Amino acid sequence: MNRKVSNGMQIAILLLPGILIFGIFTIYPIVKLFIMSFFKWDFGSIFEQTFIGWRNYADVVTDKYFQTAFANSLIYTAVTVPGQMLIGLLVALMIHSIPKCRIGFRVLYYLPVITSWVIASLVFKYIFNTEGLLNYFLTNVLRITEQNIRWLDSRWGGMAISMLLGIWKGIGWNMVVFLAALQTVPHELYEVASLDGAGSIRKFFSVTLPSIKGTALFALVMLTIGGFNVFTSIKMITNGEPGHKTETVLTWMYYKAFSTGKFGYSAALSFIIAAALAVLAALQFRVMHNKEQKPGRDGL
Amino acid sequence: MKKKRITEKSVEKVYDRIKISGKNKKMPTILLAAVLGLGALATGCGKSPAVSEPAGRNTGVSTEEAVTIGKDSTEQKKVTINFWHHYSAQSPENETLMNVLIPKFESENPDIKVNAVSHEWADLHDKILISAKSETLPDVARLDSAWIPEFEKMGILTTLNQEITDYEAIAVTLLESAMSTAQIDGNSYGLALNTNTKILFYNVQVFREAGLEVPKTMEEFAVTCKALSGTNHSGQQIWGYEEPALSGWNLCPFIWSFGGELTNPEQTKASGYLNGPKTVAAIDMLVKLYQEQAITGWNSGDIPMTDGFGTGRYAMILDGPWKVSEMKGSYPDFEYATAALPAGEAGSHSVLGGEDISMFVGAQKEEAWKFMQFMTGTYAQEEMAKCGQIPVNKEALESDTVKNADFAPFIEEIKMAKSRPTVANWSEIDSELSAAVISIMNGEKSTQETMDELAVKVDALLAD
Repeated sequence: MNRKVSNGMQIAILLLPGILIFGIFTIYPIVKLFIMSFFKWDFGSIFEQTFIGWRNYADVVTDKYFQTAFANSLIYTAVTVPGQMLIGLLVALMIHSIPKCRIGFRVLYYLPVITSWVIASLVFKYIFNTEGLLNYFLTNVLRITEQNIRWLDSRWGGMAISMLLGIWKGIGWNMVVFLAALQTVPHELYEVASLDGAGSIRKFFSVTLPSIKGTALFALVMLTIGGFNVFTSIKMITNGEPGHKTETVLTWMYYKAFSTGKFGYSAALSFIIAAALAVLAALQFRVMHNKEQKPGRDGL
Repeated sequence: MKKKRITEKSVEKVYDRIKISGKNKKMPTILLAAVLGLGALATGCGKSPAVSEPAGRNTGVSTEEAVTIGKDSTEQKKVTINFWHHYSAQSPENETLMNVLIPKFESENPDIKVNAVSHEWADLHDKILISAKSETLPDVARLDSAWIPEFEKMGILTTLNQEITDYEAIAVTLLESAMSTAQIDGNSYGLALNTNTKILFYNVQVFREAGLEVPKTMEEFAVTCKALSGTNHSGQQIWGYEEPALSGWNLCPFIWSFGGELTNPEQTKASGYLNGPKTVAAIDMLVKLYQEQAITGWNSGDIPMTDGFGTGRYAMILDGPWKVSEMKGSYPDFEYATAALPAGEAGSHSVLGGEDISMFVGAQKEEAWKFMQFMTGTYAQEEMAKCGQIPVNKEALESDTVKNADFAPFIEEIKMAKSRPTVANWSEIDSELSAAVISIMNGEKSTQETMDELAVKVDALLAD
């Protein structure tokens, strides 16, 4: 046996258990689910599924509740992702420039990231409840409002609170990521910029931002996927109320699959979301790539 | 021994030596490791050896297999039946089941052994779905009455009236209203096991201060709600009545008492019933009360039911026997009393909850039926009544245990209570109903218009 083949075989055999587990528990279910999404599959057809082609997909796309949920997910992502990134970047810049106590601040800002989603959601729910903490302050302490404001009872109220929670919880993660990126920017660039007469703001836009572009793209893609994956906060704060108006794609899929047993519909839904996310990610890569390839100014 | 100096050359030599013999030693070693890894993986997730060949939809661990693996090899023809339930593991119900009922049953039937497995409520539903697919269903299970239509549609429940000879004799001993939860299209798919319903709980002090009587009719109810809402001594807002949601469980008592219906008796059509004048009238009353700020509770930001009632913010609520123990636990000093659901034009018809006991297809019929008879028999029903489970056995209902129990006020209401539609798509219909009524409450459209649209949607779901 020549060495290359023998090496190859050794590698293959050592990888085999890992690949098998991955194949059985990840690849196979995904492929099976994709096939199942073309069949009628609910309580009545738990044993016999009939092939119905694209019907499930058509049902999903024409469903008014899905359209609302998808719109909610898009809005949630469009608000929380830039929100988290901007505030995270700001915090990273501030921490990067202080001479002492960096670790302490980093820990404090990172704490929300590691709190349980469930507990954080419940705390937010109790703060913004009609009889909750915020209303207590507004009505009884500061006496700004006459009657309690019903923060959670409408579509945009409920969504706003969830988005607030999403941003608050994500700031720390962004801060850590951007701090790491900031530390890789070579000092010489800043010095050269100073020599050329650039002020802090100019330095930020011309030196800092371009240098952390790669990291920013990474964060953007990860956070977008995360934004579409929002589940726990919506479930705990509004549970899709009122009347399924604050559902997001995942809470709607969970409801359809496990409360009404429409498995075929949910399978189709999950692939539609996967396709949408793939498109979004590709778009993001394209936009960032184009920006990079734009001709830069000489010397910087 | 002279220490060998570790030089680059000596390391290379050793490496070469391993490499040369590598062809012979490395490969088998790697192969062995891979096989061991796979073997561990396979046994980890493979089927347990106790499971018999799945011929059709027969049960998993049962019959003689259990004997050869178990300790009693002397009793030859011992049959083991599997019973799945959702009495939670620490509850008095489960203790009664395991320490009183099952031993009594086994002593009366020495050739039957009962293997009872406790699950969480939601887990049990999913587990049955999975077991149906993998053909490892138990013999008997205690099912939430709302699950019966789904499982019937899947075809996994035994049709009792057709396949059990003495079904009628047993069915007659149990409450008709409770039995209706397991009846679909004239066939019966389970025996009622325990039942519950909702009655009015009211804040005694608030009524006393306002000088009002507990409402007995729906008109009095509307007036009382308005009278008892507004602000209390501390300046907080109070409401006359609370509903925690707006689904069938919450709306049906009002709809039925007004004389309305959700569907026709055959459960095939909703138009004409769901949007009929009496149904619309019932919903209109609730909408008007909400607009006058006399009722609330289903909004995400509202005070939860028990807390609102226990702190005097809601004067009245409609709930089941579990509320009694909840109040004992959270607000033991709170003064409240119970009364019947106010009667509308058609009387006082509250909504039935409860659990049924069903036999799965492929079960060991004779033994499973004997167990079901026992669990719905007077003795078992009285024992469970001591834990707070309202019995459905007519004889047990007359016993002193029941008459002195905490749930005695519920018994009268149960006799007139009705079951929600027993159709497989009920949860979806329920969700549409809830969304429709919420949109009416938020003033988006008129009641009749919304219910008309809803009836069309529900017609399609019923036909599915």
